[in-house]
Amino acid sequence: MNTKSWLSGPRLLFGLAAIIVLIVAGVSGYLVTRSDDEEPADYVGAVINEPVPMPDAVLTDDDGKPFDLRKETDGFVTLLYVGYTHCPDICPTHLYEMSEAIKRLPEKTAEQVKVVFVTADPERDTPEVMKAYVDTFDPNFIGLTGTREETDAFQETLGIPVATRTDLGGGNYAVNHAAYVIAFTKDQVAYTVYPSGMGMKEWLNDLPLLVSKGYVP
Amino acid sequence: MKKFRRFSRLTSLAVVLGLVAASLTAFAACGGDDDDDDDANNGDTTEPAAMATVGDLKIYDGWARTTTNAVSAAYFTVKNGGLEDTLVKATTSITNTVQLHEVITEGASSRMQEKPGGFPVPANGELVLKPGGYHVMLMDLKAELKEGATIDLELEFAKAGKVKLTLPVKPGAGMSGGEMSGSMTPGSGMHGSMTPPAGMTPGMGMASPTAKAN
Repeated sequence: MNTKSWLSGPRLLFGLAAIIVLIVAGVSGYLVTRSDDEEPADYVGAVINEPVPMPDAVLTDDDGKPFDLRKETDGFVTLLYVGYTHCPDICPTHLYEMSEAIKRLPEKTAEQVKVVFVTADPERDTPEVMKAYVDTFDPNFIGLTGTREETDAFQETLGIPVATRTDLGGGNYAVNHAAYVIAFTKDQVAYTVYPSGMGMKEWLNDLPLLVSKGYVP
Repeated sequence: MKKFRRFSRLTSLAVVLGLVAASLTAFAACGGDDDDDDDANNGDTTEPAAMATVGDLKIYDGWARTTTNAVSAAYFTVKNGGLEDTLVKATTSITNTVQLHEVITEGASSRMQEKPGGFPVPANGELVLKPGGYHVMLMDLKAELKEGATIDLELEFAKAGKVKLTLPVKPGAGMSGGEMSGSMTPGSGMHGSMTPPAGMTPGMGMASPTAKAN
């Protein structure tokens, strides 16, 4: 037994120094995580007064097939946006910013997010038109259309203003519609919305939270 | 022997703590919100070159949006070193249907319409065209605008006169460049100010047309 001689001299000093360094690292690591865990999730999305359930609706997807919203989005974080493909400004900005954010998320997080773009202009936005449009942002984005009655009823159920038209002359018209993206957590309830002006950075903050924690105010 | 046992126990505890700390630090670095995109900070330190100049007006950061149909929008920033002016008209060779549009967000809904009289360019200030505010609306396009292409645009100001631009076609402005990048940095207080204090107030103050004096 020569434990004593093994532990003496420089080895002992080195050992003690190593212990101190590791303890300091461990404790500071613990403190850092502790404060992280106890902090409420810091969402940048605007919080809705009354959470909105995912509408129980069946629309038509961009392959022309029926799309049952509650069934297809169950267990996913769903970013739902109502717009139209002839929208030059707000719609493509939202879709572009969401696609850029999703590209930058870890794959495990990204695969738990669905983006659903529902038209408020069903006369122009056929399934083919919707597909060509959403595919330019991300082939995984889902474009939904329907009859005028279906898309109007869908907006009403969501509690957003039903779209109206502004005549731009020469047969052109703009569609006036809700300008924010509605984020549903995996339990199919929306607690936060993302107005025009929020983009990639806001998504990169909120999407990992919505995927991992849902909505915890 | 006793001493050694204590030493080894302490060591293994410390090693475990250290490993936990190291892995948590690594985890935090991956999952944290400090993973700022590199290109988001480009071009802020040096003054970018103007795309075109006419009189006291300099034009920056112009682009037009990719399309899958006959509608697109063009954006740019006009910096004015002189008296107030107005952008009254825009024309392009790719279509005859060009309008100066504003997006107005009231409550939950946004609408887009022609801006009567054009876009004001404040004295010694700037006119910013950006999504959710002002844009040059291009309609009845004969061909889709593809990423990487360019379009021509001629602007007519009430006082400064006409100026020609060549704009790149892009899917979106991105968050790089422009006035947004500085204030959008995570942790710079943007989070607080982006969250409306109570209830659903989307669009508040964020989608309004920008024409601010310096």
